[in-house]
Amino acid sequence: MTALLEARGVVKRFGGLTAVDGVDISVGTGEMVGLIGPNGSGKTTLFDCLSRVQTIDAGSIRFDGVDIAGRRAHDVARLGMSRTFQLIRVYRDLSVAENMHLSIQWGSIGVPQLFARTDAATRRRADELLDFLLLGPLRHERAGNLSGGQRRLLEIGMSLMSEPRLVLLDEATSGVNPSLVADIADRLREVNTQRQVAFLLVEHNVQFVADLCERVVVLDQGAVLAEGTPGEVTQDPTVIEAYFGDPGDAGEDAP
Amino acid sequence: MSRAAPGTGAVAGRWPAGRAVGVGALIVLVVLAVLPLLGGTSNATLLTLTLMLTSIGVAINWNLTGGFTGYVDFGHAVWFGIGAYATAILISLQSNGPQVGWPPVPAILVGALVAGFLAAIIGRATMRLKGPYFSIAMLGTFVAVREIVRVWSPLTGGGVGLTLPPYLNRALFYYVELALVTVLVVGTWWLRRTRFGAALVAIREDEVGAETRGIDTTRLKTAVFSFAGLSTGLFGALWAYQNTFVDPDIAFVEVRTIDAVMGTMLGGLGTVAGPVLGAAALYWVRELLWTHLLDAHLLAQGVLLIVIVLFVPRGLVGLVDRRGTSLFELWGWKGWSRGLRQGPVAGGEAEAAS
Repeated sequence: MTALLEARGVVKRFGGLTAVDGVDISVGTGEMVGLIGPNGSGKTTLFDCLSRVQTIDAGSIRFDGVDIAGRRAHDVARLGMSRTFQLIRVYRDLSVAENMHLSIQWGSIGVPQLFARTDAATRRRADELLDFLLLGPLRHERAGNLSGGQRRLLEIGMSLMSEPRLVLLDEATSGVNPSLVADIADRLREVNTQRQVAFLLVEHNVQFVADLCERVVVLDQGAVLAEGTPGEVTQDPTVIEAYFGDPGDAGEDAP
Repeated sequence: MSRAAPGTGAVAGRWPAGRAVGVGALIVLVVLAVLPLLGGTSNATLLTLTLMLTSIGVAINWNLTGGFTGYVDFGHAVWFGIGAYATAILISLQSNGPQVGWPPVPAILVGALVAGFLAAIIGRATMRLKGPYFSIAMLGTFVAVREIVRVWSPLTGGGVGLTLPPYLNRALFYYVELALVTVLVVGTWWLRRTRFGAALVAIREDEVGAETRGIDTTRLKTAVFSFAGLSTGLFGALWAYQNTFVDPDIAFVEVRTIDAVMGTMLGGLGTVAGPVLGAAALYWVRELLWTHLLDAHLLAQGVLLIVIVLFVPRGLVGLVDRRGTSLFELWGWKGWSRGLRQGPVAGGEAEAAS
């Protein structure tokens, strides 16, 4: 499988704290990879480095063959990498539909389009995605009025709106009603299958990761602790000790 | 979340009087346009109205960066002063005695361009800062530029200032400023409905989120800041020409920024009509206070500001149009703004497009 995202030796320090310590990680085209680890293991910081929200102190990051280590975040998004955030980021004062309209592929927007209104094709695509994510009836609602789970779904919709090739999902099921988690999994699988969109998922819900991903990377204290199939990593004694704590917890939701 | 039935949010929250507001604005424009043609309109009245239009124009420009983009600029009057001075310098150019000054129109246009150019350079640097840090940086810029103008005597005339040839056609200045304000109001209304305008609001709402979704936030906010600087520079240039005199203390006045901030806050930050109504209302309130309460007019203005901040933080227009914002929200003091962000979105791009 061709590596769509390839990060080598990524290091990120905050003062004396090394949050990400020489991490190697890759995601192939159309692949779904899970990224798990205990709190403070550097998962979100690694996401921030990959999406260029944070600069890196060492290492290299290539996306679709392009060195993105020195690029700005909007450049990376325009190359086809989108993301969601652990703490949900939607434009609270705008409507659900407007949030979607603002998450287009901005690389294709020239000056004339910048000074034009949202076109019919974009509105149609936003409506389709909102229906797909069960948010259709709320399209004119103010995003700040949505529940946490609905906002999480909206953020996922926004990350898909730009037709990305890779989506970094940071705790997509956090705060979501359990009945919706299976829906989210179905929809991610559908997008992955039909559009060959790759996903890198940070999750504490190990079952969710195991259901979706063929490969899982485990981080601990900023470094890769293990990598393999969900079955392999959940049986790995070092992972069990570092992450699950008790062997009996393996395969269940992490604490 | 609100209890509005699914799909009814836009209808329930839409400003029902939108069209009536447009018609009302057109009537006001017609009245203002025919006013000088009526007998009995004195030059003093025209000057007062022109200065009011100047206040409105500066407030609209301030609202582009402060209200829509969320960068509260405490030094915005610097562009007014730079536009005024650049124009005054060009008009009063001398070469060993004989006057070689520029004609007024190109001098005014270039004066505005100088303000816009400097706004692009300074904005690029200061807009890396957020919240109150940006506000203070711009206040510092304002003070620094005024002092530079004061000490750069060979070019600016120093503390003595520059005198311009008189041109006292008050009606002409009035019509030019009325046209400019009209263009700005229509332009802001239209901008808000474009991707550019929506992207500015996205920057205000969540700059990191906007950047990671592909919006080149630096380019857009610098562009809007430069335009605001250019436009306010144009009002400064016109003011200098009609005032026939500039010096640092009348061209660079903090109160001009305070008026823009207060007027926009009174009307509604981040709304189209807010700065127009707010700046006009504030102008007349100030005139009244000045006339009837000379000893305590500044105190009364301070009380007015406190009342706005505490009781109508989203301004008068913000009471009916919830697309605006407040200073609390822009500076992240969410606790103060609790309860302000309720109800469905009124008007806006998505709804307007449907």
